[in-house]
Amino acid sequence: MMERTERVEQVERDEQDTIIATRNLSRTYTMGKMQMTALNRVTLDIRRGEFAAIMGKSGSGKSTLLHQLGLLDTPTEGEIVIDEVEISGLSESEKTMFRLEKFGYVFQEYAILPEMTALENVYLPAMALGLSRDEYVTKGMDALEKVGLAERADHRPREMSGGEQQRVAIARALINKPKILFADEPTANLDSVSSRQILELFRALNRDIGQTILMVTHELEDADIVDRVIWLADGEVVDREG
Amino acid sequence: MTSTTTELKVSAFLAYKFIAKGNRGTTLLTILIMALAFVNLMFTTSVFDGMGDATENQVIDTLYSNIVIEPKDEEIYINNPDSVVKKIINVPGVIGTSAQYVTGATIAYEEKSGAWNIRAVDPDDERMVSLVPDMMIEGEYLSKYDRREIIIGKEIAGGHGGSLEHTSLGGVVVGDTVEVAFTNGVRREYRVKGIFDTNFLQSNQMAYITKKEMESVLGIHDMASQILVKTDTKGDEGRFLNQFVELGVHEDIKPWPVYAGIVATLTKSFDALNALTGAIGFFVAGVTIFIVIYVSTVSKRRQMGILRAIGIKESIIVRSYIFQAVFYAVCGCIAGLVIMFAILVPHFIKHPMVFPMGNVTLLIEQKAAIMRSAGLIISAAIAGFLPSWRAVRETILDAIWGD
Repeated sequence: MMERTERVEQVERDEQDTIIATRNLSRTYTMGKMQMTALNRVTLDIRRGEFAAIMGKSGSGKSTLLHQLGLLDTPTEGEIVIDEVEISGLSESEKTMFRLEKFGYVFQEYAILPEMTALENVYLPAMALGLSRDEYVTKGMDALEKVGLAERADHRPREMSGGEQQRVAIARALINKPKILFADEPTANLDSVSSRQILELFRALNRDIGQTILMVTHELEDADIVDRVIWLADGEVVDREG
Repeated sequence: MTSTTTELKVSAFLAYKFIAKGNRGTTLLTILIMALAFVNLMFTTSVFDGMGDATENQVIDTLYSNIVIEPKDEEIYINNPDSVVKKIINVPGVIGTSAQYVTGATIAYEEKSGAWNIRAVDPDDERMVSLVPDMMIEGEYLSKYDRREIIIGKEIAGGHGGSLEHTSLGGVVVGDTVEVAFTNGVRREYRVKGIFDTNFLQSNQMAYITKKEMESVLGIHDMASQILVKTDTKGDEGRFLNQFVELGVHEDIKPWPVYAGIVATLTKSFDALNALTGAIGFFVAGVTIFIVIYVSTVSKRRQMGILRAIGIKESIIVRSYIFQAVFYAVCGCIAGLVIMFAILVPHFIKHPMVFPMGNVTLLIEQKAAIMRSAGLIISAAIAGFLPSWRAVRETILDAIWGD
């Protein structure tokens, strides 16, 4: 009896520890008369504070999986629970607020607005959350400090290198203290030095503040820096890339 | 901070950044186009309003003054007009009065003749209510004791480049003698003492003799067909009517618009034209803004996708484009007003347009300017909404990574 109670408590702890859970997640695209399955019944759990990488060959469904988990796309079938919220029950506007409050994104391209300074790019999500000017400027500067770009706060993207722009994007992703940071091949367009800086930054964020990070990457050596690799092949989770 | 306030703040911030840090050439060109669209909207209206105003002024200055007192329905003349004048002349705002006879007559010169209205006036009184005495182009105006002398408008005289040359007397000059046949059968010869040109077709078809002369023709004394009353302001005649009645004036009292059928006709036609040109102007301005915003949304398609991905609401993005469009429109209206007031209005004051109702300058009425500015801004807001709303309809993935 005692053993059973401990097992139940362990399961409950595991459930509380899980920030992302998918069950039989599928995404099928219709192209003309053809149906293309990009994800096929994917079931996985991501723990809080985990730094996980999604890896696999081109076309294996890495980005598709990230888009489903990041609520940028809607799965054809299956269930996603994020931070104990069943996502399929959310309206589009609720998903938008969910993304603003709980997610941070870093895209492959330096997805920051060229019309704004680094600081403005960073504090935009905090401003959208309704913080006062003092609050969002302070938080913006803190975020830039974290990525080592405080002194570049007033620079516009065209005055910064690719690596710096990507760090600005990371600072923007961090400003609302997201539950999960999604990164879609964040180093794909960077030179090796900048790539290493970005990965080390992710590692430090994960280690120092327990940031949950889910990153899509095609660089095999990135596997060494993460806690876990989720391997995908033909839209399915596999033990290890073949 | 409420969510609506937050959304407005973020929309305004995005719009400001897109305008201030975007392509300056595009911004300036768009504002210039908006300014020209505004000028286009305002110019036609201002010309029409100027024509209406010129016509009204002509009706007042050369035909009926501000108020006309006429005999009661069953009477032909006002008896003892001086007694009426005495009642009203001291009313504050009344500048002058002119009791006069009006009759139809046939005027003949050599082989030509025509039927026109002749007014018989006291020249001194007439100067207080009419500008005709100041508009002599040949000879001079009547004097109080003139007999057998007449002044005629240029459309009667002919030979002065009038619009009705074919019905004129064909070139009468000062000093010529014309024969006037009055409706009561009396025929008299008159020396043409002066010819006037008011620049207004209707008043240029009038002739004037003195009151004393007319009384000898009609065989009556101390009467008048009408009394014209000049007041210090235009458009405020209503208040005098009640006062005159209270002071014991029992005749028919009418403000000038009653006689200005031409103004009403013009205004009606101008309103229709204004509505048409206005609709086209708004449409052109709207399409211009639509194209500018559409191009902007196409070029910022990926950026809009990213903004949505990071949690910026679609309504915030759409509103930011509406704000941009409204900004262009407001700047366009301001620039348009500057063009109107600093360039076009002074130009047309220096070089007025000549129309049958007289010299016309641009009249910018506050109401018209406000209405057109509001119309332009609303058109711009709609034109800013449509392409941005359409752009945020596509999926985030298509916006960021689509073709």
